[in-house]
Amino acid sequence: MDFRRRDMMAGGIALASSGLLGRPAAAQSRAETLRQVTGNSVNTLDPTMPGSTREAFGISVNIYDRLVSFGRKQGSNGGWVFDPDIIKGELAEKVDTSADGMTFTFHLKRDAKFHDGTPVTAEDVKWSLDRHVAARSLAAVQVQTGGWTKPEQFTIIDPHTVQAKVDKPDRLALPNLCTLYCIIFNSKQAKSHATAQDPWAQEWLKTNTAGSGAYTVEVFKPGEQVILRRNDAWKGGPLPYFRRVICQTIPEAATRASLIEKGDADLSIDLQASDVPTLAQRGRVKLVSTPQFNAFTMVAFNTQMAPFNNVKLRQAVAAALPYQDIFKAALFERGAPLFGASWRGSPTNGKFPQPLPLATNLERARALMAEAGHPNGLDTTFSFNVGSAATSEPLAALVKESLGRIGIRVEIQKLPDAQISTLVTEKKLPFLTETSIAWLPSTDYFFRNFFTGAQRWNYSSWNNAEINALCEKARYELNAAEYERLCKRMIAVLAEEVPVIMLWQPNQDAVMPLGVDGYTYQYHRQVDYRDLKRA
Amino acid sequence: MNATLRHAAWVLRGNPVTLAAGLGVLALALVALLGPSLVAYDPIASNVPQALQPPSAAHWFGTDQLGRDVFSRVVVATRLDLAIAASAVTLSFAVGAVGGAFCGYAGGRLDRWVGRFVDVLMAFPLFVLAMALVAALGNRVENIIYATAIINLPFYVRFARAEVNVRRNQGWVEAARCAGNSHASVVLRFLLPNVLPAMAVQVSLNLGWAILNAAGLSFLGLGVRPPTPEWGILVAEGARFITTGKWWLVVCPGGALMFAVLCFNLLGDGLRDILDPRLRT
Amino acid sequence: MASAPALFGVVVFTFLLMRVLPGDPAVFFASGPNAGEAEIQAIRVQMGLDKPIPEQLVRYLWDIGHGRLGRSMGTGQPVTVDLANRLPASLELTFTALLLALCCALPLGIGAALAPNSLLDHGVRLLCTLGVCVPTFVSGLLFIYAFYYLAGVAPDPTGRIDIFASQPPTLTGFLLVDAALAGDWEAWHSAASQLVLPACTMALFVLAPLARMTRASMLAVLTSDFVRTGDALGLSRRRVVLVYALRNALLPVITIMGIVFSTMLGANVLVEKVFSWPGVASYALDALLASDYAPVQGFVLLMALIFVAVNLLVDLLYGLADPRVSVA
Repeated sequence: MDFRRRDMMAGGIALASSGLLGRPAAAQSRAETLRQVTGNSVNTLDPTMPGSTREAFGISVNIYDRLVSFGRKQGSNGGWVFDPDIIKGELAEKVDTSADGMTFTFHLKRDAKFHDGTPVTAEDVKWSLDRHVAARSLAAVQVQTGGWTKPEQFTIIDPHTVQAKVDKPDRLALPNLCTLYCIIFNSKQAKSHATAQDPWAQEWLKTNTAGSGAYTVEVFKPGEQVILRRNDAWKGGPLPYFRRVICQTIPEAATRASLIEKGDADLSIDLQASDVPTLAQRGRVKLVSTPQFNAFTMVAFNTQMAPFNNVKLRQAVAAALPYQDIFKAALFERGAPLFGASWRGSPTNGKFPQPLPLATNLERARALMAEAGHPNGLDTTFSFNVGSAATSEPLAALVKESLGRIGIRVEIQKLPDAQISTLVTEKKLPFLTETSIAWLPSTDYFFRNFFTGAQRWNYSSWNNAEINALCEKARYELNAAEYERLCKRMIAVLAEEVPVIMLWQPNQDAVMPLGVDGYTYQYHRQVDYRDLKRA
Repeated sequence: MNATLRHAAWVLRGNPVTLAAGLGVLALALVALLGPSLVAYDPIASNVPQALQPPSAAHWFGTDQLGRDVFSRVVVATRLDLAIAASAVTLSFAVGAVGGAFCGYAGGRLDRWVGRFVDVLMAFPLFVLAMALVAALGNRVENIIYATAIINLPFYVRFARAEVNVRRNQGWVEAARCAGNSHASVVLRFLLPNVLPAMAVQVSLNLGWAILNAAGLSFLGLGVRPPTPEWGILVAEGARFITTGKWWLVVCPGGALMFAVLCFNLLGDGLRDILDPRLRT
Repeated sequence: MASAPALFGVVVFTFLLMRVLPGDPAVFFASGPNAGEAEIQAIRVQMGLDKPIPEQLVRYLWDIGHGRLGRSMGTGQPVTVDLANRLPASLELTFTALLLALCCALPLGIGAALAPNSLLDHGVRLLCTLGVCVPTFVSGLLFIYAFYYLAGVAPDPTGRIDIFASQPPTLTGFLLVDAALAGDWEAWHSAASQLVLPACTMALFVLAPLARMTRASMLAVLTSDFVRTGDALGLSRRRVVLVYALRNALLPVITIMGIVFSTMLGANVLVEKVFSWPGVASYALDALLASDYAPVQGFVLLMALIFVAVNLLVDLLYGLADPRVSVA
């Protein structure tokens, strides 16, 4: 309840000073305040809490520092995008990687301080990294994809140096430490709120912060708003422009669009695809559209369950979908298509996601239906999430209509978030659409997360011996040419077997007033306020 | 019978609003009956190149995101919407009137228990109850009907109970019993017909409520499954396009929905005049 | 006390209804990449969902007895804290809307009753009925579009107070009251102007039952003996109507007001959603879609309690307005 008291104090101070300072000061602070409006809510200040929303991820990036983070580059459309190939220090001044690629030595910045003024030490780093591998949190499952599984991997060399070791050279070891889960806590502060049942202070950190990041939390009302204040003593990088950031939950997308257009809000990244072109056309706002190159929308089949365990049937569906129509009607063409590639057999490069040779061909689809042993068609259901209805509903309607032409009678199921997550995790849905994202955009990571294993993200429950083997091999393959070869093979198998039909990479449309600059598309698809400024 | 009709005619003459509402309901019923044969386009056939066209001679209410003809969708939706409203209200009316009448007649412990149960239902935030029911049972048409019926039920049970309670010891009921009628027959053949007219007023009002209720559920994503056209879904989808100025997507289905609810409400009012001229409210 | 069984019924019924929801909250909240069985099981244990349902119910009832309503997975807060923070927002909105509706409904109803079957009467009826015909989410969105986006006269429809204004110190949770107590008229003005659109949207919807009831009871009273006596004694028409008739006509209006108030509190889900109003109903809605049991159960219990309290209050008011009724 700490924020409540501060709230009252701020109110009191504003009251006392409003008579003295008057309007100009207020106007000044408005220009230095960024107001983001978002549809979802921030539900925790600790991003590793199970159930954290994406918006909570975004806030945590700004209030905590990591040892290292990704750099940014100019994207194909001129806007900024994150660059997973550049790794820069945040709390670490320098990272030494051993010749065998298994040991990383982090030299901490000596002047870095937590929000309470105490210096950041190796002990804090060790405690935090231990927490990420040992506590029951979202962090543990993420960092294991980089080979981080036990506290013994992290050792303190001296008060400003920490060493981290993996058992096998892993392409994703260092990138994993850049992700937003691997934040560094103020261990003294956190430990003082730990209890016997809760040794990692997870309960306390949900509503309190113990970080060193560029912003501190002024107000946190879960489900309503978060107000951040700039930490002027921040050492993680150049001081951000905005002194104050308000992140407010506005559930109605239409209202968010109006707020931006009227200039009352400064940023929204989750407007409806249908509103964006109109806003851009009216010219009162600035639009930064970035194809989300680490995300993709797909139609997934359950490959372990009849009828879609039949590869011919999946190919028939893939040949029946009217890709261009779906792309236009559902997404208003706001994204990069992943269909319609011209290659056959093997792709020209190993990048993923990349367009696959998918095209509409009803003749072929009907022939495949007969080959699949369903000359009289079949019945199935197609599911999507209520939250994504704006895009998924037209998509589903077109899927139903087009599959009706080859004899597949589809019933559309629109399910609330919790229900669809449950059914997907239990692998009970035959046929669905989802949009998903991989934080670390490398081909083997995509395949490992989405096309192997029993976890929820393997939407198609695909279990292909060759892919499983290729994935395992590619993960530890440090030779670039060989890695490329393995990736190309994986993509070729995917295109042939069609466990999912890749549709597109939706754009992230960040809409802001004309004066706001520096917006960067991040791997977590949220706003890094540190990048932004007002011209 | 003749007297009632004459009275009705007299009331209608002095009350053009009710007359208009009655005609409106009649028109809606006709559209619901003829539905699909009145429209030029298949309401669920897409035509993506023609998406989001404003109203024109070819498409009177314009087209939607998939290029479907909004006029066809609105007209065809009439049948489903009226069916949902009518079945829900019929269900709660039948269960509520019969159940409530028996309880009111029997009195005693059963009556108290049913009374408690109704209190429980009344104490629920009803719209949230409907949402929870649809979420729990799945968003199929029949579940939307059940949910709507359940949230309307308490009113009917209460009403029937109270009305029967007042009458059960009156002389004519006593007489019916003495004439050798069983209790069931007393309730069904004598008491219920006495109570029904007053309840009929409520039916008309509730039809309007039921339509709005279904629309609210649709707005929250708990409505009928796509791509089936239903007014609430059409309005909820159209509401997304308000800021971008595609008004026809919300105004046209919204107008149809409003018209239906308006007719039912005004008719309910009018019915009350006809059935009970003293207590016109 | 007579309402205790009803409250108990509400609690048990909600509990069971939530368990019937097909979504598994543990699965939903363990939504990270690679979230496996272990993580899901951990959340299940944390939420107490690993126990058999009868045991969960007994535990839940025990907790309610001790004033604990569980913890929301969505906000990470205890449900009691969330509800306490959000209830004033809902109540403030509902009270304002009810007041607004009464201010319109009483004159309209009286006017209609004074000239039954006149053009005015039909006009009032049509107007009130029109209000009920528009789904609140449509009227809300249209209001925002017209008054905020096009005309620019309304403040941005984003919560209870201008986000840049300083919030008055929290005493009652009712912003209008808090701001007035603090003497912060700027904040008061901001909070009041934020209230206008959502309150109008809601008032429009309940205008009809209130106006209709006023008209009906006024009609009945106007034909009663004491009014005729008053007229015969040569009292002014104004005095007869506004003093003697109205007081008697208000009785049924009070009854229906109680019902209207309870329904409004539960039914303003859509209004709260459209206006980003941080109230209890939108809180319950989000929780429901996430199959987050505790908040929904807490919300329903709270609504039932309010329902009981309002009924009690109506009985008391009845006693005040009608000395013949004694509250048993």
